[in-house]
Amino acid sequence: MWRQESAHVLGALLRVHPDLPDCEDAAQEALIAASQKWPCDGLPADPRAWLIRVAHRRLIDQLRADSARTRREVADGIARRLDEPDPAAVEIGSAYDDSLRLMMMCAHPALRRPSQVAITLRCVGGLTTSEIAAAYLVPEATMGQRLSRARATLKDEEFCSPAPDELPERIACVLDVCHLIFNEGHTRTSGPELQGIELTDEAIRLTRIVRDVLPEHDEATGLLALMLLTQARSCGRVDHLGDLIPLKDQDRSQWDQELIREGVALLEEVLPEGPVGRYQLQAAIAAVHAEAESYEATDWLQINLLYGMLAQVAPSPAVTLNRAVAVAMSLGPEHGIEIVRDLLEHPAMQRHHRAHAVLAHLLEQSGDVATAREHYVLAARLTQSVPEQRYLNRRVEALDQA
Amino acid sequence: MKYVILIHSNPQPWGHPTGDFIPEFQSLPQASREKLNAAFEGIMEELSANGELIGGQALADPASAKLYRWEAGEPIATDGPYSEAKEHLAGFFLIDVESQERAEEVVRSFSGPGETVELRPVATY
Repeated sequence: MWRQESAHVLGALLRVHPDLPDCEDAAQEALIAASQKWPCDGLPADPRAWLIRVAHRRLIDQLRADSARTRREVADGIARRLDEPDPAAVEIGSAYDDSLRLMMMCAHPALRRPSQVAITLRCVGGLTTSEIAAAYLVPEATMGQRLSRARATLKDEEFCSPAPDELPERIACVLDVCHLIFNEGHTRTSGPELQGIELTDEAIRLTRIVRDVLPEHDEATGLLALMLLTQARSCGRVDHLGDLIPLKDQDRSQWDQELIREGVALLEEVLPEGPVGRYQLQAAIAAVHAEAESYEATDWLQINLLYGMLAQVAPSPAVTLNRAVAVAMSLGPEHGIEIVRDLLEHPAMQRHHRAHAVLAHLLEQSGDVATAREHYVLAARLTQSVPEQRYLNRRVEALDQA
Repeated sequence: MKYVILIHSNPQPWGHPTGDFIPEFQSLPQASREKLNAAFEGIMEELSANGELIGGQALADPASAKLYRWEAGEPIATDGPYSEAKEHLAGFFLIDVESQERAEEVVRSFSGPGETVELRPVATY
C-alpha cells in the first residue's frame, strides 16, 4: 500500500492550502484512487507525482463544490498557483523535510499526547482510522472522534517549521511520540493483528526519518538505537503460551544480531558526542544487555553507572527500580532491597505493582522467602497485566513448592 | 489506560437517572442537585467530545435479571437479583484515559450521595 506516501502528499497539499481537514480528505481520496486504479492500469512512472496531482485536483474540486463563496475563491487561488509557469513560485521542499514538518505539526503542544500519537499515525503513517483504533484497542468511532478533534485543533496551523526557539522542544515531542508508538507495539504480547502493520516497525521508520533529516540530533540517533536494540530482543520475551519469560531465562540465541550491530554502531557514533540525553542512556543500557552472553555475564556495574546517570537526567520510579536490580546484581541483594524499600516509603508507590515485584524478587534472592511471597502476592493483585499476573502467581507457586 | 466506572446503587423504585430515586439525593437543596447533575452532564460531554468515553449503559432492574449457577454439571437459571445486598449494579462506563490521575479526576463527577461508584482498571494483555 502506498500509505507511506501519505506524508509527502499531505505536505504538498498543505503548502498551498494550510487546512488539515481539507487536505487530509483529499490525500486520502488520492490514496484510495491509487489502490483502485493501479492494480488494473499498472504503476505510473512517478507514483508520488501522480498521487499529488490527483490530490490537488480533488482538493480544488472539494472547495469548488462548497456552498461558501470564499471557499470557492480559495479553490481558484490554488488552481492558479499550481498552473504557475514559474516553478520557483511554488515552494519545493525535500521529501524528508515534508515528513518531518508534518511530524512536528502533529506534535503540536495544543494537542494532548495520545492525540499527537493518533494524528501522527494518520497523517505521517497513513494508517486508516480503523487500523489506529485496532492498535489502541478502542472502537473505530472513538478513534474517529479523537482524530476529528485533533484535526480541528490543527486546522489553521501554518505548514512550516516552528519558530527557532520552539524547535528543540517540538523535536523532543516528536521523538516522544515515536517512542510511545514503539512502546505500544512492543508491550503488547497478544491481541488483534494490525493487518501486517507493526507499530514497532512504523515507529522505527518514523524515527529514521527524523534522524535522516537531523543527523546531528543525538537524541534522535539515541532513540533509533534504543528501538533497534529493544526490537532485536523481542523474540524470546514471551513463550508459546503468551506468558512472560524473565530476562535471565530468555533464549539469547533468538536475538537479532544484525539489529544489535546497527544499534551498537549508532551508539558508538553518538555517545562520544557530548552530553547524553535519556534516549541515548536507555539505548546504552539496552546495548549492554544485548551484547551480554548471559544474564550472569552482563556488565552490571556498567548498567548500574548508566542508571545512575539516567536518574540524573530523567528520574522516575522505573529508573529507580531498574537501578535497584543492577545494584543487587553487582553488590548483592541487600543493597538493592534498601533502594526499593526507600522507594516504597512514598505513599504513591505503595500500590505500584512493579515495586513490590522487584522487592519480592530481591528478597527471594536474599533468602527471605516468606516476605518475598507476601510481596509477590501483592504485586499480582495490583498489576493490570494478565501475563504479568500469571508470571507473579507462578513465582508464588514456585516458592510454595520449594 | 482503560477503566470501567461501575455505579452501585439502590434506586427505589428502580429507575434512571438513579439520583431521582434515591432519598439522599432528593433531600438535597435544588441548587446542589442541579450542580451534581450539571457535573455529570459536563463530564459525559467532555469525555465524548475528546474520545475518552468508549461506551456505557444504564442497566435495567436487577429483578429482571437471570442468574446462572453451575450445579451438577450444567448452568441452572434462577431469577435475579444477584444478591440480597442493598446496592446493585446500576450502570457502567468504559473510559480510556491517559493516566490514573485523569481517571480519578473524571470519576468524581459520576459520584453522588447514596451510591457507591467504583473505578476498576481493565486487565491488559
